[in-house]
Amino acid sequence: MTPITPIKIILLILLVIVLRAFLVQKSLVLAKRLFVFLLFFLLMFLVIFPDVSTRAAKIIGVGRGADLIFYLSHLFLFFLIAGLWRRCVALAASITELSRTIALQNTNRPQEKSEKAREKN
Amino acid sequence: MERPSVWIVIPAYNEAPILENVLRELLQYDSSYHIVVVDDGSSDGTATIAGKFPVHVLRHPINLGQGAALATGFEYALREKAQIVVTFDADGQMQPQDVGSLVDKLQNEAIDVALGSRFLTSVPEGMPTAKRLVLKLATVLTRLTTGLKITDTHNGIRAFRAQALRKITITQNGMAHSSEILSEIARNKLAYREVPVTIRYTRYSKAKGQSIFNSINILYELFMGDKK
Repeated sequence: MTPITPIKIILLILLVIVLRAFLVQKSLVLAKRLFVFLLFFLLMFLVIFPDVSTRAAKIIGVGRGADLIFYLSHLFLFFLIAGLWRRCVALAASITELSRTIALQNTNRPQEKSEKAREKN
Repeated sequence: MERPSVWIVIPAYNEAPILENVLRELLQYDSSYHIVVVDDGSSDGTATIAGKFPVHVLRHPINLGQGAALATGFEYALREKAQIVVTFDADGQMQPQDVGSLVDKLQNEAIDVALGSRFLTSVPEGMPTAKRLVLKLATVLTRLTTGLKITDTHNGIRAFRAQALRKITITQNGMAHSSEILSEIARNKLAYREVPVTIRYTRYSKAKGQSIFNSINILYELFMGDKK
């Protein structure tokens, strides 16, 4: 059992705050909710028992546990950004679609031609 | 031969100072042209000025980019049963008689698309050297990526037959649409020809036009699929 240090308490409090921020999102589907919960559980575990991550790091050939977590979090963030990017592109496409629909619904036709059209009707 | 209905799509973003001249010149040249001004979310009353003329005015509620404005204009013109659709800039760089020569080319030869080129005859007057070099590089890149042998890849004056235009999809909202149109021409194996046109480099158009530095942004847009 490793001793409880101030940094551990700070990290644990931060983790709880971030976890709460994730879980209050009502739109989060159950599967994602579970994933987030498990991830935070693992992180909390690693904060309390840092030796575990060091041992895991040694097994796969990384120097320190902190380094391993550093690498993994980079990978994770990269995927997160890629997902956000995809979403942004999709969002931009629907904004374009929306603007185009609005533009095509509110057209200003040349005066004389619309009068001719009215005469026909 | 019956005259086809020619629709000119003019994307305009904050072009109020010059648009009046552009529209007057076009209508003086040929009043049978149907003109569609797509105001791309301007804040300077571009749409109001366009509204003074016998033209169709469409307004994007927000600024999306020239590619998006063109695509909106295309959709409108095709709905209105246009037979030939021409793209034209709002900044006064282009000459109305070039619309005439593009349309003639489309009609006289069995082609789908007529593309304006600044480089078919001689070096355009007043074109900055750096701009000429960047455009030259763009032709080389276009030849490599699409196989199209074009002398001027970023010229905004083009004429399409309606049935050809229906096959072209523009997803690039920004300036990368020029390259996108060319790759769509290649993908659909459309028959194209280049037509010499004259571009006027006025002080206004130089200030408003594309800086050569923006070509880096355009490349970025193409590769990243950025929509703006």
